[in-house]
Amino acid sequence: MDLGHVHGELWTVKSFYTYPNEYIYWTVHIAVYPYITGLVAGAFVLSSLYHVFGRDELKPVAKFSLVFSLALLFIAPTPLLFHLLHAERALNTMLTPHFYSAIAAFNLVYLFYMAIVVSEIWFAYREYIVLQSQSRTGIYGVIYTALTLGSTDISEKALATDHKLIKILAAAGIPAACLLHGYVGFIFGSVKTVPLWKTPLMPFIFLMSAIISGIAICIVTYIIGMKLTKRLIDNETVKSMCQALKWFLAVAFILEAMDIVFHAYVAEESWDILSDVLFERFAFKMLVVQWGLGMILPLILLIIPNIKTIRAFFAGGLILMGVFMMRWDVVIGGQSMSRSLAGFLDYHMPILPTSLEAFKEGLCAVIILLSAPFVLLYLFNFILPIFQSKTGEKGL
Amino acid sequence: MNHAWRPLILIVALLVVLLTVRWFLVPSDFMAKNGDYKYQWHRVGSEKFWRDEFTVKHKGREFCKQCHEDKIELVADSGHARVQCENCHVMFNPEKKGHPVDLKADFGYLLDIGIDRSRELCKRCHSKLPYRPKEFTSLTKGVKPFKMIDPQEHNPGEECVDCHDVHRTGFK
Amino acid sequence: MKQMNLTRRKLLKMGMLSVCGTMIPLSALEIFKPEALATTLDHPYSQKKRWAFVVDTTKCVGCGMCVKACKLENEIPFDAEVTRTWIERYVLTNKGDVLIDSPHGDRYGYTKNDPEGHDLTDAETLKGFFVPKLCNHCEKPSCVQVCPVGATYKTDDGVVLVDRTWCIGCGYCITNCPYFARFFHPVYNTAEKCTFCYHRISKGLKSACVDACAFGVRKIGMLHDPDSEVFKIITTQRTMVLKPEYGNEPHVFYLGLDHIVR
Repeated sequence: MDLGHVHGELWTVKSFYTYPNEYIYWTVHIAVYPYITGLVAGAFVLSSLYHVFGRDELKPVAKFSLVFSLALLFIAPTPLLFHLLHAERALNTMLTPHFYSAIAAFNLVYLFYMAIVVSEIWFAYREYIVLQSQSRTGIYGVIYTALTLGSTDISEKALATDHKLIKILAAAGIPAACLLHGYVGFIFGSVKTVPLWKTPLMPFIFLMSAIISGIAICIVTYIIGMKLTKRLIDNETVKSMCQALKWFLAVAFILEAMDIVFHAYVAEESWDILSDVLFERFAFKMLVVQWGLGMILPLILLIIPNIKTIRAFFAGGLILMGVFMMRWDVVIGGQSMSRSLAGFLDYHMPILPTSLEAFKEGLCAVIILLSAPFVLLYLFNFILPIFQSKTGEKGL
Repeated sequence: MNHAWRPLILIVALLVVLLTVRWFLVPSDFMAKNGDYKYQWHRVGSEKFWRDEFTVKHKGREFCKQCHEDKIELVADSGHARVQCENCHVMFNPEKKGHPVDLKADFGYLLDIGIDRSRELCKRCHSKLPYRPKEFTSLTKGVKPFKMIDPQEHNPGEECVDCHDVHRTGFK
Repeated sequence: MKQMNLTRRKLLKMGMLSVCGTMIPLSALEIFKPEALATTLDHPYSQKKRWAFVVDTTKCVGCGMCVKACKLENEIPFDAEVTRTWIERYVLTNKGDVLIDSPHGDRYGYTKNDPEGHDLTDAETLKGFFVPKLCNHCEKPSCVQVCPVGATYKTDDGVVLVDRTWCIGCGYCITNCPYFARFFHPVYNTAEKCTFCYHRISKGLKSACVDACAFGVRKIGMLHDPDSEVFKIITTQRTMVLKPEYGNEPHVFYLGLDHIVR
């Protein structure tokens, strides 16, 4: 009989006593997935801060963050498809969902959120789309005509309706975005077998870190985008984004710290080995990278008054790195502790694509996944320009 | 018609498509058995696979008895009375297989039968470990001391079967 | 004395009354019959018509014949480092260390006193024992609860199974088992675990591991059946289950566990 191979053996190194079937099953893709959905949620919240809460200084990035949210949303299921051993059966989650499982909720939440984002983008770009459909020819003409969905009404009344609906959708989208990322936190928080994950705080921890990563990526991409297209960076916009970022960052840090403090104080049976994982094996990753460089340093950079582009850029970049590290530490760290409470598992992510499995589960796949949203954003820009330009529309 | 309804119509249309596709793709015997959606949401046909279609491999003493009645009777009266023939004679290494009759073709028996004369097999039970129970309680004749040896000391390098008759093991 | 005229009607009436009258005390006896009382009591085990397993660790020698039989019976590639059942060895040394190991899940048997690779002498070994482990076929399986597609489920008789044609390989069930009884099948790439040899027990046979054990460590039977070994042990001896704090209600009952058992 074909011997096959044991899933997990390639990247897991076990020490002391671990159960025979114990391996790292949820690998880097399960860290990349919440990272991407986190960026989705954060970018959308930023866009909604303009559309719903009227933060006018965010107008230059409102459209961009919305389209970026969509690009990220399209890529979001891809790490999961890489992770599943039977990706061809992925549709089963929609065919026979078992709603006791948080993963089954993914489909509904994802589709619901996608519907909101796509609709909001349509309303936001409708005037531009209609104008383009009338003036462009060739393939672009076809695309824009299709995108009009048959309506060419850009009268004052129609645009006013659009404006109202954008507001409604942006408002409805905030809880949807929170749900899209909150349920990921629920997936981890409800796993009673992993001591690091089991906490009611998990959905909120994930949500807060999602928001800060989303805002951070908007800051970073906005600055890079403006620089590349040789446009002026609106300092008020950057300042406003940093203001929002500051508050969410403080809350995120407090929640994460509280979680660890409770674990240490309550000191359940697993604390002995859990503290070993957190403060010795993962000490550099968690204390230095995730908290030190990823949260405390950016917070200081943001608090110091008169923030300018360069400081904002660095703060954003550090936060992005820190949030990825947080996802890694939670997913991998949680599994690094043997359920026997008497051993450890070390995760060695495959770097070189020496086999199909090493490619699918390794660095190559991660690079593809993390760069894909930018590629998609670049492609979207051809149809839906992300920065306010000479588009001839009155602008929304 | 108000243009604002168009996205919603599109979404509803997609949902209808999804539900139609679902109607075709979901097996008809997929259900929450006994209304237990939490623990019994499954394709009922799967139970049939595990219950009826999955093949039985180990067939026990009665199967071997068809041809080896003499050996079976010997063992039944020995210290190895509770040890299945298959425990020692099913080879996990396919190279060690060697039964003169093709059991698969003639009997539908799927395991590799052979004779393993190595010390390693006997050591599995009879190596002396300080925490192995010193008494064997499964025999109908009563509780007997469980014989163990230190493999380093007890005739190292020789095969156990050179001196021991495994089918007759000792007391009567 | 006035003569009582015994008419036919009176005789019949008296006859009926006496018969009915005697029925009452007789039926009272019926109610108070001990066997009848037993069935009306809320017997915790008589209601659950499901399979249960007993492991007597006081008898286990760690020979691993059960692991070998299981692998071959259930088509798990023999050399693959995954297993539906395994034996753990616990040794308490004279220095107070607890050494735990399970080399290859014990499919080759334990033949040396070398837990975790430390060669111990008899003097250094205070106590030791073996603990066979397998899927506990819980009454409230946390693994089944989290399957997103309904690929894993509990049967009417309490056995937890996986539908190999529907499993998408997400690994959520594997992560959610407190005992780590699950793994991915190396060939089918779906979630896999002990099935209590459902294909055997449903035909009146015993699980492969139960048959393979010459020392009488493993037993399987119907929990509600007063004639089954498992019923007798569970209702008369002091049994334990592994990790009850998870609330899964496991149905593998152990004799002879120790506080150092993980």
